[in-house]
Amino acid sequence: MKSQTAIDQQTVIKRKMRSELWKRIDRNKLLYLMILPGLIYFLIFKYAPMWGLVIAFQDYQPYLGVMGSEWVGLEHFRTLFSDPWFWTIFKNTLLLFLFNLLFFFPIPIILALMLNEVRLQFFKRTVQTMVYIPHFMSWVIIVSISFVMLTKDGGIINDLIAMLGFEKINFLLSSEWFRPMYILQVIWREAGWGTIIYLAAIAAVDPQLYEAARMDGAGRFRQIWHITLPAIRSVIVILLILKIGDILELGFEHVYLLLNPMNRDVAEIFDTFVYTTGLQQGNYSYSAAVGFFKSIIGLILVVLANRLAKKFGEEGVY
Amino acid sequence: MNKRVLAIVAAFSLALTSVSSGCGREEAALQKEGGKAPFTFRMMVNQQSPVTPDPWIEELLEERTNTDIRIQWVPDGSYNEKLFTAMTTDTLPEAVFMKNQATYELLKDAIRGGQFWEIGPYLDEYEHLRNLNPEVLQNTSVDGKIYGLYQERPLSRQGIIYRKDWADNLGLSAPTTTDDLYQMLKQFTINDPDQNGVHDTFGLSDRNDLVYGAFKTVSSYFGTPNNWGEIDGRLLPEFMHPSYIDTMEFFRKLHREGFINQDFPVTSKKEQMKRFVSGKAGVYIGAMGDVAFLYDDAVKTNPDVELDVQNRIKGPTGDLGIWAIPGYGTVILFPKSSVTTEAELKKILAFFDQLMAPEHANLLQYGMEGIHFHRVEGKANPVEDRALLNREVRPYTGMLVGGPETTDMLEAHYTLDVKVKAEEWIKDNHNFIIHDPTAPLDSDTDAEHGVRLREIITDATYQYILGEIDQVGFDKAVERWKKEGGNKIIAEYNEAYQQSK
Repeated sequence: MKSQTAIDQQTVIKRKMRSELWKRIDRNKLLYLMILPGLIYFLIFKYAPMWGLVIAFQDYQPYLGVMGSEWVGLEHFRTLFSDPWFWTIFKNTLLLFLFNLLFFFPIPIILALMLNEVRLQFFKRTVQTMVYIPHFMSWVIIVSISFVMLTKDGGIINDLIAMLGFEKINFLLSSEWFRPMYILQVIWREAGWGTIIYLAAIAAVDPQLYEAARMDGAGRFRQIWHITLPAIRSVIVILLILKIGDILELGFEHVYLLLNPMNRDVAEIFDTFVYTTGLQQGNYSYSAAVGFFKSIIGLILVVLANRLAKKFGEEGVY
Repeated sequence: MNKRVLAIVAAFSLALTSVSSGCGREEAALQKEGGKAPFTFRMMVNQQSPVTPDPWIEELLEERTNTDIRIQWVPDGSYNEKLFTAMTTDTLPEAVFMKNQATYELLKDAIRGGQFWEIGPYLDEYEHLRNLNPEVLQNTSVDGKIYGLYQERPLSRQGIIYRKDWADNLGLSAPTTTDDLYQMLKQFTINDPDQNGVHDTFGLSDRNDLVYGAFKTVSSYFGTPNNWGEIDGRLLPEFMHPSYIDTMEFFRKLHREGFINQDFPVTSKKEQMKRFVSGKAGVYIGAMGDVAFLYDDAVKTNPDVELDVQNRIKGPTGDLGIWAIPGYGTVILFPKSSVTTEAELKKILAFFDQLMAPEHANLLQYGMEGIHFHRVEGKANPVEDRALLNREVRPYTGMLVGGPETTDMLEAHYTLDVKVKAEEWIKDNHNFIIHDPTAPLDSDTDAEHGVRLREIITDATYQYILGEIDQVGFDKAVERWKKEGGNKIIAEYNEAYQQSK
């Protein structure tokens, strides 16, 4: 008898909670309505396609479909880890990402700080526009322009080097020059675009702080160091975490365009590997497995970075 | 509020009218031809021209063959994607075009899985289809069975295009041996062939393609087999033949001495052509038919330019040879999921049979006489209006079955002498062609890992030519190729080869 009442009580509580929930939803129904398109977007374009991941565990054949293909368990992952190229690709991917973080990530911040100090509005706007225009050019164009400038067969830069009496440099066909070339092109294309968000953050800083600092005799650099940078610190951290989440999104197109037989040992990354072994040969399952592995690394890194950020008293992304 | 309702109503009624007009068309098609309703079927074709095809020729064909064809045009770039989507969702049309060999390769598994009709046994029943070349059909076969109709491609268009005016300036005659070729490239580089007093020219303009660029063609001159060849009765890949090493050595020398563009491994076809037409380089090795538009471009900047074509280059062995493709481009397959009965298959085959009739083949290839082409000396001479041809004719050229060798269609007429000569050389190539012995054979390992394994060799070849590795390094790459699956490929091809003998 006693237990019966306990159960009854429980159901009552549950029902209460449910009606409570409904009440809350009902109260905020407009807010929920507003969030709906976003939710639907994520469900349709981000969550539903995840169903496709199952092909990473299958021997997927397009004519058999997902339902009819044979299950192979972790075989594709085993193939990947036993591939003699695996560690090279892993290393290349991580190194490119590290270079990205070290050399590219600070540039937009520095650029934004510099632009912020420009007093002449017209000049500032013009420079700002000019540095973010490359963002709207495709990688094909950026890489082609670099090619035309760097080629040994009549490229401006090599002609200049030759004119100054030096040996022409093999920029395009060497392992040593691949990474610098990659990073410089990333900076060229993305640095200006990256400044926008920092400039917005800087604009939100309370001008009184600067006034007070000036009163105390702080110079420009002191102001930057003690006011601007701390003020945008959380933005920097959030962008850093997001960037780490994109770790393995090094830009397939970009790397693929730069990739050639002479620099493959440093330029082959997961994305290009997926393309040549998977898509070009119709091994969809294998490419899905490689892509899946890549996302897992990305996820782990984001979680770690987020923890680290929280440890330092920042908010993090979740 | 009222306005919004109105807008919605308007949108709906628009959608409705488009639907009903679609129905109308169908009814009209049914009513056409009076009693006998036309045979309806769908096909999926890759759209090669950038503009939407004008259905002019399609309607004419439908009328002549009493069919109602529904063509699903798919842009060339996303064709494979669309194809696989259709396959997965079981919505393949009755006739599916494999846009090229590579796409066709991808479907071999599905073919083995019994997804498509085997059509080999039916071909003899048809007036025109029986003329398809058995050798080429054999090259399209899967496990010895024939599943598709094919569109012809010339077996080999490869050869040398060079600056005749430069050769004349330097007193060089057309090269007939690989040594002559080397001399020509050297003289074009060091001896100021354009006589402008400046050292600004080089010999060979090449690109990032070991197959359709210069390398494979020159390797044929050196006597290298086409992809695979026999050594002591065993099939081995071309790069295990000594003549492949000789070819690499030839290019290495060209590269070291500066007779070839230094960055050729990353040079695009466009850039390669530009170097040739702008008078920087004097030799272009590739498809000889390209001479027509190379000339058109070159003459714009230099009216005195003279081009010539040449082939029949003898290597150190003194033998002639030129590599060939398997002779087909597009392959047409018939899925069992949409073509459900044999009777239906026969009807569809009958339609494609009619496409091979000379009048229809001409229609697909050249368009209507008097509108799209004129006859000159019994040959078809297309009109100048390229936009018109792109819109009305070119999309349908992709539907052609067979080609000049297998149908009685008109030959093309060329106004440029050197183009005529190039076409003659292309025909001449047939006399000493080197076939790929593995074209009709299958190797599972090759199908699955071939592209990636091939990359090892391609990379090593470039590294050798650029002097980064030597013979030892190249042998190492070959060993790696063998270890990572090459040995299996060799075994599989040899087994299939012995069986086919």
